Amino acid sequence: MTSSWIGLGEVFVLGVRNLKRNKLRSFLTMLGMIFGVGSVIAMLAVGAGARAELLARIQELGVQNIIVNSVKPPEESKPAATNRRWIDRYGLTFKDREIVEQVCPSVERILPVNALRQRLWHKSHGIDCSILGVEPEHLRSFGLEVRRGRTFNEVDARKGAKVCIVRPSLIRELETLEDPIGLSVRIGAEPFEIIGVLEDARFSSHTKKALAIDGQHQEVYIPYSTAMRDFGTMTILRRGGSEERSIVELDQMVVRAKSAEAVGPTARVISSVLERFHEKQDYEIVVPLELLRQKEQTQAVFNLVMVLIAAISLLVGGIGIANIMLATITERTKEIGIRRAMGARRIDILLQFLTETAAIGVVGGLFGCLFGLGAIYALVQLADWQAVVAWSSFALALSISVAVAILSGIYPARRAALMDPIRALRFE
Amino acid sequence: MQDAIVELSGVEKDYASGSGFLTVLRQVDLCIRRGEFVGIVGASGSGKTTLMNILGCLDKPTRGRYVLAGEDVSSLDDDRLSSARNKSIGFVFQSFNLIQQFSVLENVEVPLFYARYSRRERRERALKAIESVGLQHRLGHQPAQLSGGECQRVAIARALVCEPALLLTDEPTGNLDSKNGDEVLRLFYELNAAGRTLIMVTHNTEIAANLPRVVEMKDGRMSERVREVVGA
Repeated sequence: MTSSWIGLGEVFVLGVRNLKRNKLRSFLTMLGMIFGVGSVIAMLAVGAGARAELLARIQELGVQNIIVNSVKPPEESKPAATNRRWIDRYGLTFKDREIVEQVCPSVERILPVNALRQRLWHKSHGIDCSILGVEPEHLRSFGLEVRRGRTFNEVDARKGAKVCIVRPSLIRELETLEDPIGLSVRIGAEPFEIIGVLEDARFSSHTKKALAIDGQHQEVYIPYSTAMRDFGTMTILRRGGSEERSIVELDQMVVRAKSAEAVGPTARVISSVLERFHEKQDYEIVVPLELLRQKEQTQAVFNLVMVLIAAISLLVGGIGIANIMLATITERTKEIGIRRAMGARRIDILLQFLTETAAIGVVGGLFGCLFGLGAIYALVQLADWQAVVAWSSFALALSISVAVAILSGIYPARRAALMDPIRALRFE
Repeated sequence: MQDAIVELSGVEKDYASGSGFLTVLRQVDLCIRRGEFVGIVGASGSGKTTLMNILGCLDKPTRGRYVLAGEDVSSLDDDRLSSARNKSIGFVFQSFNLIQQFSVLENVEVPLFYARYSRRERRERALKAIESVGLQHRLGHQPAQLSGGECQRVAIARALVCEPALLLTDEPTGNLDSKNGDEVLRLFYELNAAGRTLIMVTHNTEIAANLPRVVEMKDGRMSERVREVVGA
């Protein structure tokens, strides 16, 4: 008879009332559900957050890019630190670039970067800057939008124009009231003109690391040809009284593969080519797509752990509910007898107790949602994880907890329904 | 018979006991008409309780026929038997059997819930039944806050709320002092005077002596006790 379902709403309210009557017991019963639901929600949010973060990172670095940086090899016994004429030579060479271009048909193009450390002067105000000589395409490929002024063009590149593009924070640091566009500055001893100011958006720390950008200094972009002509490849670092000279032909090359599928093989070829021509590990290869894979692997392990925690909590929670419902049914044997005498059918008793366990599931699930939000907050605040909370995950977690509760209620509810009304009535 | 509420014919009840069967009721025939007030007496072990359970549709006879308010209930399944209890029987127990965590009003609403009345109708009918036993000032109280006499009146209101054909009372004054017991008895007589059919199981001889009709159970058999006409 379908009419059994009528009034289940009221039975549900009664179930919640019963939960309130014995708060501590109810809370302990629901604890497993709370942890289970909480970890489901936290897992979904952290998973979504990690995906969003990865996507953003990949977009910043470019899926098809392979970034090869020159790295200062680990310090070895230098002939003599006192030898002022010593020049440290390491990193990528022009020859490396040529070879890669020749042996890798899957390479679309290679963008070179010449990085140097110089002071940028405006009038008497000098700021230590990280100068990056780049091709016009470089800015575009890393999403560096020019907010004011213009970006580099082919003419700048060909002529080796003395123009530069800067971050807005540099303009703020210069403390000038003049229009930054067209402002004359000096980089080292060379006169330059600011032609563009970038968007305020900063690179994420991961991107900075991948691009070997030193976060402590302002980045200033100039055309690659200008950098090579005016500053060359030698970097002189003055430290205390001594000088360190180093020559790095190519500070960075951004290799763009023809397709996302070609990224992996291309990276392997580059790696084997460089291995052959470099004795020391004076370069590093960063493959954004590989980063994504690695991250996805750790994410999968994390997800597995969370799924296990959730499953175990829900299982234990379900057993707890079954246990407490069995006790409740013994306690309420008399009530069951009375209801049966008043005309309740077996299905009515069954549905009553199933609805009561569903109430435990709903209330436990709601507390679990709160617990999950707390866990997400803690992970974001303390562990600096990214999380994206989707409302659908609450619906999912709630349905899981209600389903587990109802499943665990079936056996106790069946026992209640099958009780002999005569014995139940006589039960004291 | 047109206005028969209870018709038992050849009712027997066996219980499994050890290797064989124990026959608790033998060849019980009983006819109760609308508006009668019948007492059932008997020592414990006489089959009185088993008869009560069968009359209350809580149990089924092993053999024989039981027609309750025109419906043969001797071979109904559990669900239909439940419906028969809901529709045709009002129970009043010795120990009141109220649901402790429910208020007076909620207790009286329980049978209406299983009769599938709407929430509003339940409230209206329950209020009317509670008023009829004079407890309208106790609606929100819980059984533990009431006296024994009040509890039994709540139970009577609950038994009446579905307008059953038969009111089945089992030692209704057993747990009450004489003043409250008399009050409950007076209520039963009033209900009987208003046309209700009642069966009362009791072993209080004083109460039984005053009832219009009494049947006695002895070793599973039933015998009608013929009233001695006083002063004849």
